[in-house]
Amino acid sequence: MKIKIFRWRAVGPLLVLFVIGCLLWWLFADTIARRESQKVGTQLLGAKVEIQDLHLDLKRGDVTIRGLTIASPHEAFKNLLQADELVADIDMIPLTEKKLVVDRIVAKGLRFGTPRTTDGRVAAKSGDGIAGRVLAETREWASQFQIPVLQLATGKISIDSLDPRRLSTIPAAAALSARADSSGRAWQAAFDSLRLGPTLDSASAALERLRHARATDLAALNDGRQAIDRLKRARDRVTALDRSVKSGITQLQTGLAGLDSARRRDYAFARSLLKLPSLDAPAIGAALFAPGAIKPFERALYYAQLARRYMPPGLLPRATTGPSRVRRAGEDVRFPKERALPAFLLRSAELSFVLHPTSDQPQQYAGRLTGLTSEPALYGRPTTFRASGPQLAAGALLDHVRDIPVDTGGATVGGITLPAFQVPGVLLRLDPGAATTQLGLTLNGDTIHARFAIRSTHARWMRDSGFANSTIGDLIWQAVSGISNLDVEARLSGALHHPDLAVRSNLDEAVASRLRAVLGEQVNAAEKQMRDRVDALINDKVGPARARVNEVQTQGQAQIAQQRARLDDLQKPLEQRLRDLTRIRLP
Amino acid sequence: MFALIKLIQSLFDALHSEGTPGQLAAGIVLGSFLGLTPLFNLHNALIFAALVLLNVSFAGGMLGWALFVPIGFLLDPLFDWIGHSLLLAPSLRGLWTSFYNTPIVPLTNFNNTVVLGSLVFALLFSLPLFFATRWAVARYRVTVGERVRQSEFYRAVTASKVYNVYKMFRP
Repeated sequence: MKIKIFRWRAVGPLLVLFVIGCLLWWLFADTIARRESQKVGTQLLGAKVEIQDLHLDLKRGDVTIRGLTIASPHEAFKNLLQADELVADIDMIPLTEKKLVVDRIVAKGLRFGTPRTTDGRVAAKSGDGIAGRVLAETREWASQFQIPVLQLATGKISIDSLDPRRLSTIPAAAALSARADSSGRAWQAAFDSLRLGPTLDSASAALERLRHARATDLAALNDGRQAIDRLKRARDRVTALDRSVKSGITQLQTGLAGLDSARRRDYAFARSLLKLPSLDAPAIGAALFAPGAIKPFERALYYAQLARRYMPPGLLPRATTGPSRVRRAGEDVRFPKERALPAFLLRSAELSFVLHPTSDQPQQYAGRLTGLTSEPALYGRPTTFRASGPQLAAGALLDHVRDIPVDTGGATVGGITLPAFQVPGVLLRLDPGAATTQLGLTLNGDTIHARFAIRSTHARWMRDSGFANSTIGDLIWQAVSGISNLDVEARLSGALHHPDLAVRSNLDEAVASRLRAVLGEQVNAAEKQMRDRVDALINDKVGPARARVNEVQTQGQAQIAQQRARLDDLQKPLEQRLRDLTRIRLP
Repeated sequence: MFALIKLIQSLFDALHSEGTPGQLAAGIVLGSFLGLTPLFNLHNALIFAALVLLNVSFAGGMLGWALFVPIGFLLDPLFDWIGHSLLLAPSLRGLWTSFYNTPIVPLTNFNNTVVLGSLVFALLFSLPLFFATRWAVARYRVTVGERVRQSEFYRAVTASKVYNVYKMFRP
């Protein structure tokens, strides 16, 4: 029986299924596209992306998005931006290659930094995906700029507990004491091995014989000469031992000097346990404003690093996390090809937005973004952004066309009312009021140069209640409360992984001079207190060690002198008696 | 429980259908593609169309799908590794680059490591699966097939079709 290959009667049901599929697409395409856009946007930015309404018009290649809200990846209840309407003109042909090429986007009604009722952070909470990793990296990067907080509010200088195990003098003294004992034992053994007793006894006997001998008693004379030779050899041994003892004593003295050095190191260590504020003006500026100043750098770096991950230079295949699904996501690998379209390209975006939307005179601004692409090497031109308005000038250029990416950006915004903040370590709040802020960042490969500045002429200071009973608090309050001008500048430069941060402000010198005047005596007293603590802990060990060294030294020297004297006591009379016996007397 | 009964029903439907062992084996092979690879991909639309249009066992296809879904989940790490090795192999870069920049082909998601790995695995696995299944079905039918058809268990399972009809109209 011949089996038919095709089941022709199934064509009808399959067509029906196809029509149902098309119908469902027609009904739910907008919803599907909206949900997918939200999902992809959230994954890309690491913060919730919400879209109220999305409409696809495939015939004209238009996508209209209304009510776009992008939450801030860094702040829980704040939006990064909101847009009333975005209309995108999409090139349809590249969609067949799964490439999204947007010729033009017109965005209207952009608003920045608006509040929200729910926490919109995603990457900060989950740490997943590229955004999560970049966020964790930038946080770790920012954590290296932990400036010690000034301990000024209470006027007390706190001292951490001093652990005797961390003092270097105590083990050094114990080691020196042991070395002195060892030297003493070694020298005693060396003295014992000299065996001077038989030499001295035979010399004494020879001397006695010479006393009763005549000049012609040659045997006695010969015995006397041999005894003198033995005494000389014994003296040589004593001299050698003396050199050894002297060398040992020198080493022990060096050890004693080392104890003094160790004591100085311990003083320095103990001083490091004091939470003493640095009284230099630059350090004051860093302590007061660095924690706040590093945040804009951290955020700018987050977006710059995200751009580098999503817009890498070169044309090598690149793997990114695949779509989330019930099955394992795997990785999507992109294969860019020369003279082909990139996977994503936004040729041009025209933005219009409002600053101070709630004020009586909201200010209209306009901006333009060009050349945003996932494969800059294919597009061949850098991504540029510029925006301007009555109190705003901003621009950015992301050049990832070459092997070493260069990202630069800067913005000057005037009339921004910054929120009041607590000045670290001091129970004071500073309300900068309406200020002009500037942020500039250049990231050339792995080298960063960045600057952040705030200028205000209406700064206000507020005291916290804990400040009431603090002398130093009063002094700082007197120093700063009358200053209404605020001029803070933070600069960052050097290798990206470990750049130098310098912060200065117009308050630095005022605060520093007050502190120098008041805290100088307290600092000296605290340092003396710490030295006394160190002395109390190490003197019990150093004193006995020093005494033991002196004792061993004295003993060694005394024994040498004693042995020499015994040898001399016999050698001199022997030589004298020999001279007397061998002298030629003329009649 | 219901899924298990459905699976057993599919198994008996397929084994005792009028189709040849080859048709049943071909259906199971096509169903294995649906089960082993991530479902919502363009190639699975083609597989489904083939399952419907080709004169193979549709019940076998459903059985293959049901059997290989859990296996697909279990083998995902292996598929990921296969796909990763293939996609990042320097010798194949030209081929993938060409595919990636050809219309329609990227819509298959071939550039996903799990999709490519599972598809390659299913393709390689299809021939041994086809021949093994065809042999097994033939052996089953000539040995225990008739006895199973007469058994109480078979009747009980097939009787549960009443429950299926009830489920179709259940609110």
